Amino acid sequence: MSVRVEGEVILLVGRCQAEDAEALLVALQESAARIVDLAEVQRMHLAVAQVLLAVRPTVQGSPTNAFLARYFVNLLQ
Amino acid sequence: MDELLEQFLIEGRDLVAQAASDFDVLARDPGDAGTIDSAFRAIHTLKGSVCIFPMGPAERVLHAAEDALERARKGKGALDAGAVAGLVACLDAVDRWIDEIERGAIGADAEQIAAKALARLPGTAAAPDAAETDTAPPDWLGPLAEREWQAIEAADRPLTAFRYAPDPACFFRGEDPLAIAAEVPELLTLAILPAEGAWPSLEAIEPFACVSVLEGLSAAPIDAMRAAFRMVPDRIALHRIDPATADTAPAEAAGRTNAMLRVDAARVDALADGLGELVVAVNGFAALAERAEAIDRTLAAGIRTVQADIERVAGELHRSVSAVRLVPLAPTLRRLPRVAREIAAALGKQVDFIISSEGLEVDKQIADGLFEPLLHLIRNAIDHGIETPDARAAAGKPVEGRVTLAVAREGDAIRITLDDDGAGIDPARIRTAAVSRGVIGEEAAAKLSDPAALRLIFAPGFSTAPEVTAVSGRGVGMDAVQAAVERLRGTIDLAGEPGRGTRFALRLPANALTTRLLVVEAGGDRYGVALDQIVETFRVDAAALMPVGSGAACVLRGHTVPVLSLAALLGGSDTPSATAKLLVTRAAGERVALKVDGFAERIDALVRPPGGILSSVPGVTGSALLGDGGVLLVLDLPALAA
Repeated sequence: MSVRVEGEVILLVGRCQAEDAEALLVALQESAARIVDLAEVQRMHLAVAQVLLAVRPTVQGSPTNAFLARYFVNLLQ
Repeated sequence: MDELLEQFLIEGRDLVAQAASDFDVLARDPGDAGTIDSAFRAIHTLKGSVCIFPMGPAERVLHAAEDALERARKGKGALDAGAVAGLVACLDAVDRWIDEIERGAIGADAEQIAAKALARLPGTAAAPDAAETDTAPPDWLGPLAEREWQAIEAADRPLTAFRYAPDPACFFRGEDPLAIAAEVPELLTLAILPAEGAWPSLEAIEPFACVSVLEGLSAAPIDAMRAAFRMVPDRIALHRIDPATADTAPAEAAGRTNAMLRVDAARVDALADGLGELVVAVNGFAALAERAEAIDRTLAAGIRTVQADIERVAGELHRSVSAVRLVPLAPTLRRLPRVAREIAAALGKQVDFIISSEGLEVDKQIADGLFEPLLHLIRNAIDHGIETPDARAAAGKPVEGRVTLAVAREGDAIRITLDDDGAGIDPARIRTAAVSRGVIGEEAAAKLSDPAALRLIFAPGFSTAPEVTAVSGRGVGMDAVQAAVERLRGTIDLAGEPGRGTRFALRLPANALTTRLLVVEAGGDRYGVALDQIVETFRVDAAALMPVGSGAACVLRGHTVPVLSLAALLGGSDTPSATAKLLVTRAAGERVALKVDGFAERIDALVRPPGGILSSVPGVTGSALLGDGGVLLVLDLPALAA
């Protein structure tokens, strides 16, 4: 389980698979004001990425994965 | 007409015009790379837009033309004069089919025409180079280049653009398109875009459906990119971008949006109408100021200042709106060479048709109304002016006749001349023909000067064609041309020299033509009055009109205003009625009311300057043609009331 909700923060941790998209979506549907923390992400499936792109939550932290840090985070601006 | 077709007719003709002007350049310089590129783009886009309509032959012909241009671009088959002529033939065919599709469907002869046009193109395409796919810029490339222009500008070598549109169900098969994108060698930029144009709302997100499209740029060659996407070959499109030639840099870094906007002309006309109304409404201030005068002179002065300000602003607005109506004349002119070639071919004549025009802009009405008369004149020049090749050779002339159309601006007017180096018009022959056709009596004809005799060809029912050809002689003669030019408030003259050729000279206004008129009834007739001459209109009880001397007066807003009968001024007799309908105008600075029998509709009309007998009638500024073909005299109220 790579999606952890801690109060108003949703933590994405490690390798986020396609099925994590649903957990992330539910957490955001409960409160779209939640902040998504990307600092612990190692891999991210497109299913998860497109939820973030569609909902545009506030994000914090930068992924350790160089590809995501360089090519993906800027798309959430 | 369906909106799609309407749009296609506009854009398709624009593209034809673009390609035609490129082919013109290529005819002189078949190796001009920039022009080959431009022509290729126009033809490619046109090919894409004809697909929507039942125009199979057009699609095939354009495809072949595109291939020929593509080979020239790649340096695999240089164009020569024959190839350019073939391209022109293809474009002519397509231009003709666009005209036909506007009328409903392309003609039954389309296949034959297509076969002929295709036969004129140089050899069929060699097998496409396997290393190159999608040679023409795909639709998605424009937005991508726009988005990533900085990366493209910064690149020092060709790039590969990619668009990866995963199957919506791919997540269920365990695919991760983002992981595939992460493997792209030398990735420069990546964008994840909503496949449907917009992301779904929070409630509507289907977490396991792929709704994304991935686009980006890589510095890797196309083969390496193919290898990166080898698992999804049917979901990927690749295109090379060469920064050296890519026209991706924004024209203006400030506004990278398209500054052109197509607006329905009717909307612009509605704007102009509204402005006309505004001008009339502003006139109400004058009356207000006069009433205020009696109470408070400073207030009156204030109102007059406000009025002057509004009038000034309305004037500026009016100029802006007139400028919006200006359209380039080029699209109108560019349709003519094809028609000229068709006419010449039908008559077995050899004609070189040359157009010289600066990038002129004219009022839309002029641009729209000019095509038919020019077409007629060109048809006439080729049919009656230019001789057959044998006759020209016998006369010691070059076998190929020359027809030149020149358009230039002269102040507020445009001047159009059409010259041909054909047989010219013989005044003596015109006189004889006019007399034999009963257009004019023998004595009258003999009295005419040569230039006046030449003008007889504009007389209705005059036609000198000894035989009815397929091109002219359809019962529509030069009188129709003159009528069309006069409808545009223009003039047409001709001059010529037997054996040397003929020149038709047209002069047309370059700016907006219509005048807002109020139609009024007086003495049993209807007249037009320019709205901007009317201060106000109202009705009073006939009893309120006081006889003063030989005329009458009435009190309007505390002022005594002389009342004149319009019918009487026009030499008719006044019809008494219980209510007097008055038009108030200003004459020599004073307000004057003109009594009319009735107000009718407001119309927009072309006011033509008075000609012939009318020019000697005081108080008439011209005449307007009505939609039903009737003629309305347009009155100059101030002059009448003076």
